[in-house]
Amino acid sequence: MAIEADDEILQDFLVEAGEILEQLNEQLVELEQNPSDLDLLNAVFRGFHTIKGGAGFLSLDPMVAVCHRSEDMFNVLRQGDQVLNSFMMDHFLEVLDILNAQFDQITAGEDPSPASDKLLLVLENMVKGETGEVAEETPTTEAPVAEAPAAEEPVNEEPQGDITDDEFEALLDSIQGGNDTPVPPNSNENKSTDAKAADPDIITDDEFDNLLDELHGSGKAPKVSAANKENKNTGSASSDDEITDDEFDALLDELHGSGKPPVIPETDEKVVAKQEAAPKPEPEKQVAASAPEKQPEPVKKEVTKKADAKVPARPTAEATVRVDTRRLDDIMNMVGELVLVRNRLSTLKEAMNDEQVSTAVANLDIVTSDLQSAVMKTRMQPIKKVFGRFPRVVRDLARSLKKEVNLELVGEDTDLDKNLVEALADPLVHLVRNSVDHGIEMPDERVRKGKSSAGHVLLSAAQEGDHILLIIEDDGAGMDPDVLRGKAVEKGLMDIDEAGRLEDRECFDLIFHPGFSTKDVISDVSGRGVGMDVVKTRIGQLNGSIEIDSKLGKGTKLSIKLPLTLAILPTLMVKVGQRNFALPLSSVNEIFHMESYKTNVVDGQLTVMVREKAMPLFHLTKWLVTNMDEPLSEEEVEEQVVVTHLGNQRIGFVVSQVIGQEEVVIKPLGHLLHGLAGFAGATITGDGRIALILDVPGLMRAHTR
Amino acid sequence: MAVRVLVVDDSGFFRRRVTAMLEADARIDVVGSASDGREAIRKTQELKPDVITMDIEMPVMDGITAVRRIMAIQPTAILMFSSLTHQGADSTFEALEAGAIDYLPKDFSELSNKPDEVARILCARVWSVGSKGVSGRKPVVSASVSTPSVKPTTHGTSPVARRSVSPSENKGKFQLLAIGSSTGGPVALQEVLTKLPANFPLPIVIIQHMPGSFTEAFSKRLDQMSQIEIREAKNGDILKPGLALLAPGGKQMLIEGRANALRINIQESDAGQTYKPCIDMSFSSIAKTLPDKTLAVILTGMGADGCEGAKLLKQGGSTIWAQDEATSVIYGMPMAVAKAGVTEKILPLQDISSQIVSNV
Repeated sequence: MAIEADDEILQDFLVEAGEILEQLNEQLVELEQNPSDLDLLNAVFRGFHTIKGGAGFLSLDPMVAVCHRSEDMFNVLRQGDQVLNSFMMDHFLEVLDILNAQFDQITAGEDPSPASDKLLLVLENMVKGETGEVAEETPTTEAPVAEAPAAEEPVNEEPQGDITDDEFEALLDSIQGGNDTPVPPNSNENKSTDAKAADPDIITDDEFDNLLDELHGSGKAPKVSAANKENKNTGSASSDDEITDDEFDALLDELHGSGKPPVIPETDEKVVAKQEAAPKPEPEKQVAASAPEKQPEPVKKEVTKKADAKVPARPTAEATVRVDTRRLDDIMNMVGELVLVRNRLSTLKEAMNDEQVSTAVANLDIVTSDLQSAVMKTRMQPIKKVFGRFPRVVRDLARSLKKEVNLELVGEDTDLDKNLVEALADPLVHLVRNSVDHGIEMPDERVRKGKSSAGHVLLSAAQEGDHILLIIEDDGAGMDPDVLRGKAVEKGLMDIDEAGRLEDRECFDLIFHPGFSTKDVISDVSGRGVGMDVVKTRIGQLNGSIEIDSKLGKGTKLSIKLPLTLAILPTLMVKVGQRNFALPLSSVNEIFHMESYKTNVVDGQLTVMVREKAMPLFHLTKWLVTNMDEPLSEEEVEEQVVVTHLGNQRIGFVVSQVIGQEEVVIKPLGHLLHGLAGFAGATITGDGRIALILDVPGLMRAHTR
Repeated sequence: MAVRVLVVDDSGFFRRRVTAMLEADARIDVVGSASDGREAIRKTQELKPDVITMDIEMPVMDGITAVRRIMAIQPTAILMFSSLTHQGADSTFEALEAGAIDYLPKDFSELSNKPDEVARILCARVWSVGSKGVSGRKPVVSASVSTPSVKPTTHGTSPVARRSVSPSENKGKFQLLAIGSSTGGPVALQEVLTKLPANFPLPIVIIQHMPGSFTEAFSKRLDQMSQIEIREAKNGDILKPGLALLAPGGKQMLIEGRANALRINIQESDAGQTYKPCIDMSFSSIAKTLPDKTLAVILTGMGADGCEGAKLLKQGGSTIWAQDEATSVIYGMPMAVAKAGVTEKILPLQDISSQIVSNV
C-alpha cells in the first residue's frame, strides 16, 4: 500500500478511534455508578474491541496490547464472572489515559509508546480474578493528599481521640522519611501475586492503598508499607514525595482539630485483617461524580470520504460525508467575503435608487444570510465534545479531594462553532475544577450545614438568540464578598474605602484579577498555571463575557455568554473624526447623546452621571485620530456616547457619529501592524472603506493608567 | 457474474477496509454494508447478497443472532470475522452452528503480515464461498443436537442414493477412525461425532484445520455434545476406544507406536507448512503404523489436504470415505479424494455416522 493510502486509512482510524475514546470516557464513569449495567458493559467491551481491531489492522501493537487486555477483562465482566470494582475502574481509567496518549502520539505522527508492563500484568491478573496489585518496582509519583494519613490512623489506631506520642513519632517518620522509600519486604522483582499470597502477613503499598480506597470510598492515600501498619512504631512509611509544610499543617489540623476523623466500624477492621494477603474487591460505594440521568447514547457518526476518488465508491448512498475542516474554514472565509460584497452592494443600492437593483440586492441579502447560517451550521459541533470529559474530571477530582460530587450536564446537544468548542475546553475545565475544589465543601461540613453530603455541580449549555449561554453552578460554600474586599485591600489593589464601596457583584469580579487568589495554599487542583484571569481573557478573546454570582453558603453561579461563531462579528460602526471604526456589538450596552447629560471632571477623569451612577468617559478622537486628519465639520459632529462594558464596569466612549449596526468579517492586521494595542483586526465596510475593529479591553489597557 | 457481498461490522473503519480490499477484486462486488445485526438482516432481504461478511460483536443485535435470523429467512453464505481467542472460539462455533459457512480472523495480521496477501486470502475466501451459489444451502446439523436455534435438518434430501451396505462387510477390520476436515468441518464433525455411541469401539483421531486458540475450545464443545469423550490431543496421549483426539491447531499430529499401543506425537509446524494441522501428515503417519486397519473419512473443506495421505492409506489397504458434494460446504477435499479414485464410499453427511457405526 502506498504511503498516501496508508495515511488516509490512518486518518480514517483516528476519526473512529477518537469518537470511541470520547464515548469510553463517559461510559466508564457512568459504569462506576452502575457497575452491572449490561448494556454499558457491552458498549465498553465493543469500544475496546473496535479500537483493537483498527489498531491491529494498522499494526499499532502497543495500542492492541492495552485494548486486548481491557477487552478480555470486560468480557469477563459482562459475563458476570466478576463485578466491576473501584480497583478495576482506576486501572481502566489509566488504560483510557494511555490510549488517549497513544492516540495523540499517532495523531502527531509518532509511534505510540507501549503501556507499562505493570499495567498490562495487572489487567491480565484481573482477568484471572486476581485483583491484587502487582508489586511496584518504582515508587509512584502521586503527590500525597494531606488528609490521607489521617484517614489511615483510625484503621491502625484507636478510632478517635488524639494520637499518642509514639504514634506521632511514627507519623513524623512517615512524613519526613519520605524519600527513603523503603521497599516492602515482599515487593521485590518477583511480581507474581502468587508469591505475595504465600506471604500472608504483608500487603503491598498498592494493596493497602486500594484497601483504604475501598474502606473510605475515595482518594489516594500515600503509600504506607504493610510493615508500618502491622508494627506501628517501627514503621517508616514510603511516602513518595515530601509533604510540604502547608500540607503538614493541614495534616496536624486534621488530626487534632475539629473535624472528627472518619470512624471505621469494627467489622471493617476485620476485613482489613482478612484482606491482607489479597484484598478482595468490594463493589464501590457511590462516591464520585455522576450524571445518573444520562443514559448512554452511542453516537454513531457515519463518515465517509466523499472527495476522495481513491476510496471505492460506496454502492449504497451514505447520508453523511467527511470534510476536512480546513475546507470548511475556506468556505466560511469565502462566505465572509460574500457578506462584504453584499454589504457593499447594499450601500450602492441606496445611491443608485433603482428599483430593479434594489430588488436584486434584497434577494441577494436573503440568500447571503441563509448561506451564511447554513455554512455556520456545517461548522457546528455539539458541546458534548467538551462536556464529555467532565464526568471523568469531576470524578477524579472528587476522589482525590474525598468529596462527594454529582455532576449534572444539561444541553449537551447544543451546537456551537467547532473553534469555539475547542477553545472552550480549557477554561471550562478550570472553572469546573474550581467549583469542585473551592466551591463544594467536604461531606461532613455539608451535612453540618444541613445540605446533602453530596455536592451538586450543574454544567449547562443553551442557545439564546445569537449567542450561547454556558452555566457552571454549584451548591457549595459560595463566596464571601467581605473576604474578597479584605483580600483586595491586603493585596494592595485598592484602599479600604474603595473596597467598601464595591458592590457584592463587583467583589466577585475581583477573582478575575491577575494574581488574586484567596486560597493561601495552592493545592494540587488549582494552581495549574491557568488562573481565573486567564479564563477571563480567553473568554474575552472569543468575544464572550463571563459573569459571576454567588451567595454565601448557597453556592456560586458562573455564566458565560459566547457568540455562535467567531468568523462573522456583529459590530456597531462609529465615526471618529473622518474614520470608521467597528465596536464589537457584544460589548456595547447603549448609546446616548452627549448633550443630554452633564459631565464632570472627577479626579482628572471626565465622568458622566447615568441613572445616578458615575461612568468614566473617553473621547476616542483623542486616542484614535491624529491631527493630520481633517476634522469633521461642526454640523456633522453629533458627539454620541457609546456605553461599553469591561467586565462589570461601564465605560463611555465619545464618538463623532454612530453609523449603525453591521456584520463584518474580521481580517487580521498585517504583520506590520501586528500587536498594535487596541485593535482586534480590520474589515471592509459597506461603503468599500476599511474600518479598524476596536478591542475594548486592549484599548483601555493601552490608553489608561 | 461477480459475487455480491454485504459487509457487516459496527466499526466503520473496518467496513471500509474490508470493502476496499474486496472491491479491488474484479470478481467481487460489495453491494452494501450494515453496522449491526438488525441492519444486516434488513439489507440481506433488500439486496440479496451472495456472501455476507459478519462481525460478531455489534450493538443492537450481535452477529450470531443475525446469522440465525438470516439463515431462517434468507439463507446466505456467511463468513464470520472472529477474534482468534479462546472466547472468540465459542462464539465462532455458535455462529457456524447457526449456519455461517466459515470464519476468518478479525485480526488480519493473523492471516499474513503482508497487506496484499491479506487481501488475496480474503478475496479468495469470499469468492470460494460465494461462487458456489450457496444461497439455497441449509445448515445440515441434525435436530438431535441440543441447540434449540438449529434449523430442521435436510435429512433424506440428498440426491446421492444410499447404497445398502451389509453391516458385517467390514466388521472387525478397523482399529482406528481418522477424520480430516476443513471449511465447514466444525459443523460436519459435530453432526458425525455427536451420533457416535458411548461404547464406540475404535479410537478416533480428528484433524480439523483450525487455529491453535480454537482447538481446545472446539474439543470441549464437541465433548459436551457427544457421548464419546473428545479432547485436544497432547503429546504422548495413548489412543483408546471411545476417545476422540483432536489435532491441536498450529501444530502437527503424528500417530506412532504399534497396533493396540498407538500414541500421539505432537510436533511443531515448520514455517513452510500451509496447514497446521495437516491431514496429509497425520494420515501418512497412520499409513506407517496402521496401514490396513484404518477407516479414514474426508469431510467438507477447501483445497486438497488429505488426498496424498488417503492415497498412502489406500495403498496400505485401509478404507477411505468422503462426504458428498451436496452436503459439503466446500466440495474441495472430498472431491480431491473422490477424483483420485481411492474412496470406497461417498456419503451424505447425515449418513456418515450411521455408516461408521454399522461398519466397525
